[in-house]
Amino acid sequence: MELKDKIEKHLLEVQKPSRYIGGEVGSVIKDKSKIDVRFAFCFPDTYDIGMSHLGMKILYSLTNERENYWCERCFAPSEDFEAIMRENDIPLYALESLDPIRDFDFIGFTLQYELSYANILNMLDLAGLPVFAADRGDELTNIVIAGGPCVCNPEPLADFFDIFVLGEGEEVNLELIDLYWEMKQQGATKTEFLRKACHIEGVYVPRFYSFVYKDDGTIDHLVVTDGAPEVIRKRIIKDFDSVYYPENFVVPFTEIVHDRVSVEVLRGCIRGCRFCQAGFIYRPFREKHTDTICRETKALCENTGYDEVSLASLSTSDHSEIDPMLTKLIDYTAAERINLSLPSLRVDNFSESLLEKIKKVRKSGLTFAAEGGTQRLRDVINKNVSEEEIMNTCSIAFRGGYSAVKLYFMMGLPTETDEDIVGIADLANRIIDLFYSIEDRPKGRGVQISISCATFVPKPFTPFQFEPQDTREMIEHKQKLLLDSVKTKKIKVSYHDPNVSQLEVILAKGDRRLCKAIYTAWKKGCKFDSWEEYFNFGKWIEAFKECGIDTSFYANRRFEYDEILPWDHLDYLVSKEFFIRENKTAHKSVTTPNCRLRCSGCGVNKKVGRDCFC
Amino acid sequence: MLRVRATFKKTGRAKYISHLDLNRCMLRTFRRSGLPIWYTEGFNPHPYYAFALALSLGFESECEILDFNITDDNMPLEEIRDRLNAVMPEGMGIVSVALQEQKITAIAKAEYSFSLVTDNAVKLMDDVNKLISGTEILIEKKTKKGIKTVDIKPDMEIITCEKTEDSVDIVMRLPAGTQTNYNPMLFAEALKNSGAEPFEAEKFVRRAILCDDDTIFK
Repeated sequence: MELKDKIEKHLLEVQKPSRYIGGEVGSVIKDKSKIDVRFAFCFPDTYDIGMSHLGMKILYSLTNERENYWCERCFAPSEDFEAIMRENDIPLYALESLDPIRDFDFIGFTLQYELSYANILNMLDLAGLPVFAADRGDELTNIVIAGGPCVCNPEPLADFFDIFVLGEGEEVNLELIDLYWEMKQQGATKTEFLRKACHIEGVYVPRFYSFVYKDDGTIDHLVVTDGAPEVIRKRIIKDFDSVYYPENFVVPFTEIVHDRVSVEVLRGCIRGCRFCQAGFIYRPFREKHTDTICRETKALCENTGYDEVSLASLSTSDHSEIDPMLTKLIDYTAAERINLSLPSLRVDNFSESLLEKIKKVRKSGLTFAAEGGTQRLRDVINKNVSEEEIMNTCSIAFRGGYSAVKLYFMMGLPTETDEDIVGIADLANRIIDLFYSIEDRPKGRGVQISISCATFVPKPFTPFQFEPQDTREMIEHKQKLLLDSVKTKKIKVSYHDPNVSQLEVILAKGDRRLCKAIYTAWKKGCKFDSWEEYFNFGKWIEAFKECGIDTSFYANRRFEYDEILPWDHLDYLVSKEFFIRENKTAHKSVTTPNCRLRCSGCGVNKKVGRDCFC
Repeated sequence: MLRVRATFKKTGRAKYISHLDLNRCMLRTFRRSGLPIWYTEGFNPHPYYAFALALSLGFESECEILDFNITDDNMPLEEIRDRLNAVMPEGMGIVSVALQEQKITAIAKAEYSFSLVTDNAVKLMDDVNKLISGTEILIEKKTKKGIKTVDIKPDMEIITCEKTEDSVDIVMRLPAGTQTNYNPMLFAEALKNSGAEPFEAEKFVRRAILCDDDTIFK
């Protein structure tokens, strides 16, 4: 029986079957017999989530522009379909050809969040491939590679992958596939290919590196073999305005998380919030011109038929042409009856005229990431937002008809005290007072403040990479304190499970010794750890214990400035000296101005060889 | 304004698109086509289009009905058909486009074909005949008010019932439309419940949407 028939035989037994059969508008079908290299782009979560990922859309279209390469999509099946696949010997397959991905040249994963790591092992296993790279043989095929933000510390996954690609993939992916095809024709082995590939900038081959540890568990030194480079530098696109951007997306039948056209307006961030990994690993700041953004928006809306567009960036309002850009975009979207949504707007440059424009297109809630409850703490984390600015913005918003405000905070930040936690409730109370002091506030409705509190997770390549995470006891104390400090029903509080944040920090700051723990946890049945209903912290703890891993070594220990970090051999352009300097400045509660106001010397401009703003 | 009635097909992989998803899919198809489709004029204007009948997930059809309005009176119907077909997903397509003649309420029944695949077609054929020739065929139907038992026998018309080597293939008509809708899967269920030879019901196809006098709905 053909695989397609096997799949179809059971498809009506599962939830949302259209996720497993392809055929969507915009999906790329090619003639197999004319293809030289096949690439399976795998997202280690379900279709509904993975199909929302912008990076996949870009690299999918880019690879398929090349006639002799075929990039297909692959997602983690939901539990119901996974059971059917395992029962009926249906191997993990790609959605375009419905061919098993174990027949592909490249099996590429995107590492978007740490809690998807167990899914990767599960997908390799479903594909019928050994999960450990060392067990997959030396024939030149099935190159398992990964990219995405978590690749900035890929060590906990090092034993499972052949290659990690650091930084932006638009150029390096094709260079890698070209090299593969060239060497494949010469009959090279996998090792021979990897020995050459590791000299492409941005390509990290973990098997050529090994760590020697000290008695206290920290890293003593790194051993590099096979002539691989000592330091691997991430790739960036220098001319961002003319970088490849797809003119079409695959349009899903079933509803996905971000079911709309997404247009990237800028990369990088000028802000330098000290907790934010994205703010550092995507540097330097680069933006697209208004005309480019409008052209890409129009093409995508026409080709996909979506009636909603969202602008993608870390901070859209930091675009230097934000006003003319929005004016031009709104002219187009209003005429075509398209909704424009604008996530990632910052409090401090939220002007009245900008709000007027946004009001024309939508009227949903306002969300502010205040992050810290007191000014002192906001200075520590370099969230350069003052209470005055928050109040001003809320005041404009309330007069403009808004009555619901959502505030994001983090708990467990460095130097945080009980006072900072009580400060969260105080800030919310002052916003309520402000609402009732405004004469022309929306009538007939009360004000509603939602406080969403995440647990701080220190991440590599941030000034807080050295920081310990609060223990669970400390977080639980702070959560209780916050709940006790809120005395009105106008304020709603929600917070994250501290266990999830603990696992996240272990995997984020972990080293290569964690590989076997991830394997053990997956063997115990861990998967979909970012889904509340599947997350099983007990099994993870068991796995760590069985592998002799002290979780507090990674989660609750301060990493010293002079310690060799598991990611020190990876160069994300921002220097370690800068992170140390910023960490010290943070502990003095002193802020650092944003990149446009003054260069703070992170080192990116020197390495790229040009000014960030020119 | 042109009041258009399109007949479209939903075959192959497209049969896994649920009715809810089909709605969204059609909206995007219209947008891609760039056709001047008429928008409602309420508080939240949206393109107006309506499906005559919902098609069950997993069923194929070449006779589905979609109504919508085109604001350009002079647009040739062939152009509407071609522009939609150029942007349809795989497995879907406009079979024909005409102006609306009858009201949706004129729909009375639909014709379906399906296969009952089995190891013993002779025995199953007997079981089918037994069920058909009985006094009643009781099925449990989910309604908004809960599960209710109904007898589909009086409203069911068997058009053909043929035995092949490994299956019994049936074509039947069942009530459809704004009043009563019976799904042919209910018949298969009743057959299973009657203790018939084991089988798997597959290849469900809606073959026609009909009026009370057995003419094709237009």
